[in-house]
Amino acid sequence: MFNLRDKGAEIWENQGRIGRIVIAVGAIAIVAALPFMGGTFLNTPVADYESVLVYPIAMFVLMAIGLNIVIGKSGLLDLGYVAFFAIGAYTMGLLGTKTDLNTWEILPIGIAMAMFSGIILGVPALKLRGDYLAIITLGFGEIVRIVALNLGALGRSEGIQGIPTPPGIFGIEYAFDSHRIYYWTLLILILLAIWMVRRLSARRAGRAWESIRQDEDAAELLGVPTFKYKVWAFVLGASVGGAAGVLYASKTLFIAPDNFTLQISILILACVVFGGMGNIWGVILGAVILGYLPDRIRFLSEARLLVFGLVLVIMMNLRPDGILPRKKREKAIVKKDAS
Amino acid sequence: MNKSLIELKNVTMKFGGVTALSDVTFDVKEKEILGLIGPNGAGKTTVFNVITGVYQITSGEIIFDGKSLAGVKRYKITKRGIARTFQNIRLWGDMTALENVMTAADTHKKSGLVSGLFGFPISRREEKRDKARAQELLDFIGIGEYSDRLAKNLPYGVQRRLEIARAMGAEPKLLLLDEPAAGFNPAEKVELAATIRKIRDAGYTVLLIEHDMSLVMKVSDRVVVLDFGQKIADDSPRNVQDDKRVIEAYLGVPEDAS
Repeated sequence: MFNLRDKGAEIWENQGRIGRIVIAVGAIAIVAALPFMGGTFLNTPVADYESVLVYPIAMFVLMAIGLNIVIGKSGLLDLGYVAFFAIGAYTMGLLGTKTDLNTWEILPIGIAMAMFSGIILGVPALKLRGDYLAIITLGFGEIVRIVALNLGALGRSEGIQGIPTPPGIFGIEYAFDSHRIYYWTLLILILLAIWMVRRLSARRAGRAWESIRQDEDAAELLGVPTFKYKVWAFVLGASVGGAAGVLYASKTLFIAPDNFTLQISILILACVVFGGMGNIWGVILGAVILGYLPDRIRFLSEARLLVFGLVLVIMMNLRPDGILPRKKREKAIVKKDAS
Repeated sequence: MNKSLIELKNVTMKFGGVTALSDVTFDVKEKEILGLIGPNGAGKTTVFNVITGVYQITSGEIIFDGKSLAGVKRYKITKRGIARTFQNIRLWGDMTALENVMTAADTHKKSGLVSGLFGFPISRREEKRDKARAQELLDFIGIGEYSDRLAKNLPYGVQRRLEIARAMGAEPKLLLLDEPAAGFNPAEKVELAATIRKIRDAGYTVLLIEHDMSLVMKVSDRVVVLDFGQKIADDSPRNVQDDKRVIEAYLGVPEDAS
């Protein structure tokens, strides 16, 4: 357990192309098969197991990956991430009920809306650093919720009802209670997000974020356009949150401001920190655990939140950097020929 | 004589009531190694900070490569061709030595985030080119074998050298070295002097802040001396060493002479 991260990285690095494909396909197959494991110890006693897989687990994982770009990669503390989730969801709610557009057509619009609001928030806010940035983002999250609560067009506290489910594709129908279909759809989005983050991390953007997180002034003085890359981090994080929001609205069919409270921002932040900031696998694991645990121990009824909090406190004491912390392994030093 | 690469003209830098630089004028010629010395608090690092845009000067003018640097953003100053090292090492500790250099090299990339995401050929080409160049630079500085090590785990001397390699990664015309020999033993200092000359011979211009007099006098083509924010000498190393005002600045004025 203690060296899980290094062990995993080692196994991966020692594989050839084919070995890696086998591992990746195998892992995806296992994760995709999770909905069929409801009869095992994984079952959640009170809530419906398959619906727990969709929300909170898969939804949390997707959002945690998005927030990790902002917090884990670039070191920008965003306490209002739920705003982008809400903007995606309300885009789906409004367009889904007022126009003929279906979920798949609204998805890119919702993502674009979230990205746009990422720019609106990011351009003024990212001139600030540290605590000040955290306070502004916290305010932004609340502003979005309160606007939804007071704007007639958004249904005020009643929210928006009767949001359509996605139309079927390739003969797969999205019924309200076919949770596993939603789960697999989210899985595809999660894989896309993982691909995006891994891709960017290995190139210029990843280095820029990393340098900003570690020493922003040094980065600026060595030619990194820090402001531009900070805004990019915000915008990409927002896009993932927006995508999650669209799917969420199209799944629950009913959204209200109460679904988008500060508590969600804090929970997703907890997923990122608990799992291991900056390490995408750690973040995913953190989101799975924090999404799953409260429902698994629901039989404890009122005491479950107490136990949940206790687990968090104990874990953060034992592993302050998260379950799978960042920190790259060093390869052995390659000795050069003396000649 | 070569033409000036950078000129400071009557540069004054005030912080509230404190004058850190007062009417300082000097230039650095192309392919020159200019030593910048002075007692503690003389304003040497402030010179670096005004050149790299950390501070906006109170009055005066800084001309680099024929153009004023007034109001230019910091990362764009780097892009124009000025890169620096830091007196207190400021590497990105969680990145490898190679990544540290590559991050600075990204300054001149044409490809950005979007072409990186979709793997456009230009991004792949530039990535490959800069990776090779970064390794070359590490080899050039003599720390090539450490390229895969995290910067924070490197020995002190290697970190100091990596600071130089990273600044060179940004392809500067003017390289600013802020006490690169701090904490070095005599043998390492000799080695560093050779490296600095090698850097100049490779076509860079070097502005060097250093406390170690023997090192400065050995490598510099010319030496500028600051004292209390004012330039008190600007001459060849030999003449500077004999300059009465310089000796006074460092050793103080004998009581019977004042």
